[in-house]
Amino acid sequence: MRASQVLSALSGTLGKDLKSYELRPREVGVYRKHTVEEIWAEVAREAIPQAVAVLKSLGPLHISIISGHDAGEEIELLYHLAVGYGTAGGEVMVTLRTRLPKSDPTVPSITGILPGAETTEREKIEFLGLDFPGIPRRDHVFLPDDLSIHPWRRDEPELEKHLHRMVEWEEGREGKEPAGS
Amino acid sequence: MREKNRQDPEDPVLPAVEEARALTCGVPEAGLGETFAIPIGPIHPALKEPIRFTFRVRGERIVGVEVRTGFAHRGIEFMGMRQGRNLIQILYLSERICGICSVSHPIAFTQAVERAAGIEVPPRAQYIRVIISELERIHSHLLWAGVAAHELGFDTLLHLTWRVREKVLDILEELTGNRIDYAIPIFGGVRRDITPEQYPKIWEALRYYRGLLEELLDAFLRDPTVEARTRGVGVLEPREAEELCAVGPTARASGLRKDVRQDRPYLAYPDFEVKALTPEDFGLTPLGDVYDKMVVRLLEVRQSLDIIERALEAMPDGPITSLPKIPALLAHLKRAEGEGLGWHEAPRGEVIHYVRLVSGDESPLVWKVKAPTYSNLMSWYPMFEDQEIADIPIIAASIDPCICCMDRVHLVRSGKEETWTKAELLRLSWEKTRRMRR
Repeated sequence: MRASQVLSALSGTLGKDLKSYELRPREVGVYRKHTVEEIWAEVAREAIPQAVAVLKSLGPLHISIISGHDAGEEIELLYHLAVGYGTAGGEVMVTLRTRLPKSDPTVPSITGILPGAETTEREKIEFLGLDFPGIPRRDHVFLPDDLSIHPWRRDEPELEKHLHRMVEWEEGREGKEPAGS
Repeated sequence: MREKNRQDPEDPVLPAVEEARALTCGVPEAGLGETFAIPIGPIHPALKEPIRFTFRVRGERIVGVEVRTGFAHRGIEFMGMRQGRNLIQILYLSERICGICSVSHPIAFTQAVERAAGIEVPPRAQYIRVIISELERIHSHLLWAGVAAHELGFDTLLHLTWRVREKVLDILEELTGNRIDYAIPIFGGVRRDITPEQYPKIWEALRYYRGLLEELLDAFLRDPTVEARTRGVGVLEPREAEELCAVGPTARASGLRKDVRQDRPYLAYPDFEVKALTPEDFGLTPLGDVYDKMVVRLLEVRQSLDIIERALEAMPDGPITSLPKIPALLAHLKRAEGEGLGWHEAPRGEVIHYVRLVSGDESPLVWKVKAPTYSNLMSWYPMFEDQEIADIPIIAASIDPCICCMDRVHLVRSGKEETWTKAELLRLSWEKTRRMRR
């Protein structure tokens, strides 16, 4: 698998939904040189399932993780995918970047195409307060069930108070166990 | 053997993942008799990890499972991103994500930062990183083999395996100063060189394991009791492994030749032409059961010995770091702007770190960590399907989930109980290092 093949498939299917892309080749190895290729592309959020489906049509597809962070006005998600997974020396790492406005932090779930993405989508639901329409389960994976705050949101007003309550409870100054302890 | 294993592969069966999802999203009760829920964990004698399984059973058979994690979620990424730590402090934090694969996370993290900040790693440092991570693979796989024997109720084999594992821990201590948490990778290189006096000790350890390998293969793979307990148990089919994005030996036991060292090599790994190992390399047809996972891990011990031997023979000369002065390194990192992805094939599978650096800020804006068990979590659903309650511990252990460490132990000597604190254990460890150095 070559990165150029992946790029042409992506741009051919997505059209203007592929907002920008960058190819980052890197030479590795000391005596035997090998070039590893990475693609970093920005995609409209509605086009994420379509982009993942195109990548899957090129060969075995693996999702490593979805990274996400609060970028002020919007939430940025990065889908780290390995195209041609299991091809000796021929895997291409594709990172699909998409931005969601905080007023409507939703992005279609890709679990219908890649069921292995469920854990990481559920993690984003609890940590960033997103929604992935179409995900089969949306209950918590890591955080306590009764904790309703989203710790990775920088505008989360309850976080500081919650951390204080946890410390006070642990030190025995507050009698009642706070939620999510 | 599960029913679907006997079906013709061409037969259009229900997609396996649909089945797995149906299992965990609710079990149809009608016409199937009464089912019971058995919660196991987060603290349970049969399971040494902070995880809770809720099994739905009919008689002895498991018909559904729900997995709940997060009982030891420490918010490490939050600590790295939001509490004002600099990247060197976060490097130490990354090492403490896992006590068993404690060089895998720093290797992925340093690569992510090096790619984001444009830092080169000298060839000798790349070789040292490879040697330490392969030594770690040997210790981790032997640790797993011992745990597997214990979960099967074969404690003699547990003690045998863990006794021989000591040798690789001694070598790691000799090379790095510690049995775990080696603190070897640093941005731009490694912290310690391998000195000429240390080479004979590594070669001796490699010979020791070469001599033992056949014995280990005999004890695990040619033992009828072990085979009876593990054959056809906890099957993960290739299609399920691929769809559920399984990684590491869990995926390879199902016959998928996936290994990050082979597929998208990094550091000096292209030099060693690593090949992903499956049970086929042992002359078996992969079934994806617990036995196959054992085959893959034991073969990988031999593969790691080969890699270390080749690395020692071809070790390049030169510096071990491109930025030896810590203040200069910190200044460079503070100026850096960019993002990077670092990966590594840990003993349990693919580790990935994503880092975004912003110029003028010592902390990264984003740090995301993916441990192998995170990817293998979903594999448990099909693996538990239609299995017996007695096989729960070995199936749960078969993906080699990470286990939290203790900080003190209780000893009972001649009927008198003694409590050993962390400080006393540390003193014992120092004394042992001094004995080894003599």
